[in-house]
Amino acid sequence: MRFQDAARDARAVVYAGVQADPLVARATALLADATPAQRVLARAVMNGESTDPAAWRVMFPTLFGSSATATGTTERDRCEAILDASLAIAGRGDQVRSQFRGAIVEAIAELLLARRVPSGAIRRERRILFDGVVAEIHPYDVTVETPGAAEAYDCKWGARGISPDVLHQLDDARAHAAAEGERLLPVLVVFDARRSCEVRLARQTAPRTGTRLVTIETLDRLAGRRPEPPR
Amino acid sequence: MTDLQAAVERVVAALGRLAAVGETIQDEWIYVHDLETVWTARLRAVAAGQGSMAAPPWPEIEAALSGLVAEADRIADPHRAIDWLSTLPQATLVALGEAAW
Repeated sequence: MRFQDAARDARAVVYAGVQADPLVARATALLADATPAQRVLARAVMNGESTDPAAWRVMFPTLFGSSATATGTTERDRCEAILDASLAIAGRGDQVRSQFRGAIVEAIAELLLARRVPSGAIRRERRILFDGVVAEIHPYDVTVETPGAAEAYDCKWGARGISPDVLHQLDDARAHAAAEGERLLPVLVVFDARRSCEVRLARQTAPRTGTRLVTIETLDRLAGRRPEPPR
Repeated sequence: MTDLQAAVERVVAALGRLAAVGETIQDEWIYVHDLETVWTARLRAVAAGQGSMAAPPWPEIEAALSGLVAEADRIADPHRAIDWLSTLPQATLVALGEAAW
């Protein structure tokens, strides 16, 4: 088993520009340390239509209402910053916001993983090659290339992104690694509720038992932390 | 029916309207209706319960759910509607002070 940079084709060049956008870095830094409720706020705003921040504050009273943390506190400031960044992304238009959302989930995964494993082991957009096996066309979003304990991550904004192709690619990598006597943990990271992911998976016949599922409520497990209690 | 149940039923009705938009993506017809079924059950179970200790005052909940329903009703794109079939329930549960899943 060996890892290789993905080809720098036109798609990769365009997407690299999205990944490097400062707005992606800003949203990523905020969401990596966000509470589950703050992450749901980001998801709603980036999926939504309204551009008025006041309307969103009304929709999320546990974050902005009378019982929320007071204005001027770190948590309240983070809520406002997440709202501001999410609106900026939503304002980029449908196609661009879709690319940004995907890039943000990948970047969050990378950032949280860096709190658990040495950052030098974490790579983006990598292919995994096995002897005698035709390489997959699509690279993995994030890989942890630790000898003897590698991890391969596919990141999705929503549960709808879970497809048979995704599940097969992840499971094939695990199986091919095992055939070479290597250990590779495939992980699907979805910025959506586990309930929706389970609905999506319920009718899929592709193998998934060897693939770990990390969802919006358990993102912190990537960093080796237990999920925050909901609020 | 309590005020909370009535408000949650308005969210459930909005889920139904999102499903009607989302189901126009024919390949996702079953997924759309599975989402609607599962999240409707979750929302109704919460509405029938005791309510969260972390719940905001009722007027803020009522305004929040009205705002979320209005936001859902702005969604005209079927792909976005499918995203909102998952997002609306999560946001509703957060507004109620519940775990969003």
